Amino acid sequence: MRQKLKTSVIGSYPIYIDTLDVIKDYFSEQQTSWTKYIDQAVHDMTSAGINFVSDGQTRDPFIQLFTRNLRGCRIRDRTEILGPVQYTGPITEPDQKYAKRLLPRNTGLIGVLTGPYTLMKSSLDFFYHDEKQLAFDFAAALRNEAELLLKHVDLISIDEPFFSNELPDYAKELIGTITNGLSRPTRLHVCGDVSRIIPQLVDMPVDILSHEFKASPYLFDLFREYSSVKKMCVGAVRSDDVIVETVEEIVTHVKKAITIFGDTVVQIAPDCGQRMLPRDIAFLKLQNLVKAGEIINGG
Amino acid sequence: MFSFTKEQKVFDISGISVGGQPGMHPTVLFGGLFFKGEPDFDDAKQHLQTIFDLSKQTGTPVIPDFFVRKVEYIQPIIAFIEKVIPKKHPFSLDIIEPSIKIETLELLAEKKLLSRTIYNSIHIGITKEETEALQKYTPELAIIVAFNPKDTSPDGKIEVLENGAHLTECGLLELVRKIGIEKLLIDTAALAPGENSGAAIAALPVIKEEYGFPAGCAIHNVVEKSRWLNDFPFAKKTVDAASNNAIPLFGGDFAIFGPIENAPLVIPLMAWQDILVSEYTENYFGVSPVASHPRRKLLK
Repeated sequence: MRQKLKTSVIGSYPIYIDTLDVIKDYFSEQQTSWTKYIDQAVHDMTSAGINFVSDGQTRDPFIQLFTRNLRGCRIRDRTEILGPVQYTGPITEPDQKYAKRLLPRNTGLIGVLTGPYTLMKSSLDFFYHDEKQLAFDFAAALRNEAELLLKHVDLISIDEPFFSNELPDYAKELIGTITNGLSRPTRLHVCGDVSRIIPQLVDMPVDILSHEFKASPYLFDLFREYSSVKKMCVGAVRSDDVIVETVEEIVTHVKKAITIFGDTVVQIAPDCGQRMLPRDIAFLKLQNLVKAGEIINGG
Repeated sequence: MFSFTKEQKVFDISGISVGGQPGMHPTVLFGGLFFKGEPDFDDAKQHLQTIFDLSKQTGTPVIPDFFVRKVEYIQPIIAFIEKVIPKKHPFSLDIIEPSIKIETLELLAEKKLLSRTIYNSIHIGITKEETEALQKYTPELAIIVAFNPKDTSPDGKIEVLENGAHLTECGLLELVRKIGIEKLLIDTAALAPGENSGAAIAALPVIKEEYGFPAGCAIHNVVEKSRWLNDFPFAKKTVDAASNNAIPLFGGDFAIFGPIENAPLVIPLMAWQDILVSEYTENYFGVSPVASHPRRKLLK
């Protein structure tokens, strides 16, 4: 009998930040608190019945979330690299700790890290003039954060969308810098068209691969010959389309994935972070994902 | 003391100039009225007379900054401004609630006062309705509060001006351009001690070098928030007034100095500071003070 499928998110969740409220706090000399936004994100995910949730990444877009807290980085319009990138202390850990307290029993928490290659490619480098060295310094910093997260989260997920644009020849070593020897399962999420890099992806030092199979169903056929190599998180609802997939549509999609990947399909999720969707749509998509998961699992 | 490589903008509002290279124009002071809410017009009238007299005596420009806390105060405060503030003098309106801001803008337009109005302020909390009202009833000059809840450093202040720190649809500078306000002052958003309070001062030269816009802040708020100073009541008043000196010393152009009651202490103190800055910047950078500068008025 196959292991039950788990439902998961990828990372971000759309929460409206009430900036008038934020500025009123400033004028009344109160410090800005982000916990209510984490509350809302986690509440939606857990209400929908998702098995593996995130903190929603409500605080910042996924690049700034990390670069804002690393030495050597400066954010004005974009992230600029002005010195050696170094870890100076917790980045997402306080939010993860807080999110953990909100979870019902048997709900897992994902520690989401923006990948080092994506951080490097999204920054303006005025210091290194050496992409590889900068990427590895980001990776070393993220490794520190990952180790800190281990005691709070159930899964470490690395988000590397830039791999679908270009995969450096040091990609495996780079990801391994973060994942090697970690005591929790690891996942690599690469959205976009990964058709050219599948052999390299299945060789990555992670436990689970996550891709946008819903927006790019042609990936099923391309992955077929590597189908039993890695555990898979199958994108089953789109993150770039406000049309809510029906439960039946999701079930059909996931069953197709199972015919190809068999027992290696361990998670189903949105194709990517849901940040760009309206909140009500994001929620409905998660609800239908959960219902589809229950049907697949024979519930 | 500073001189900037970036060309510095100077904005004029009803005869008061703000901005430019340090030492050129005196620091413009904003004195607050009705902070607690209910307006006391008799008391305000006396204080206004004091600031106009001191301003005339020293050359330090002072602009009254009226807090409007409730809708019912809009009409009487505007009527008071019309009656008491000299016809060619600017005034500032300091309002938090968007609905009160909108109603005030409508009345200012009706009374033809927008050309003397300093709108205090535009920030990340601006609403769609407020933006539309500003497009329709555009004040002559606006103060932009560069408060970034994600990053209190000088860079964070630039981030909120550039892209709203991804909290607003666009950066505050682009927003102001879209509204159609051409004259603007950047308030570097003072924060409490322990929350990077020094960044408001450090950001002054950073903002001016980056954009050339006039910059200043309400550094007095940091003194208010320094609770430990309550054990030193005699020193507290001096510290409160003296805190404003940091603004021209770091190249800033305006100081929102708190209650107008503090004016007799703050105005001469700032005149003294501006003279000091002017002497050095003229000697070293060749920046000559304007004719109305305290150095011209007081050192004869």
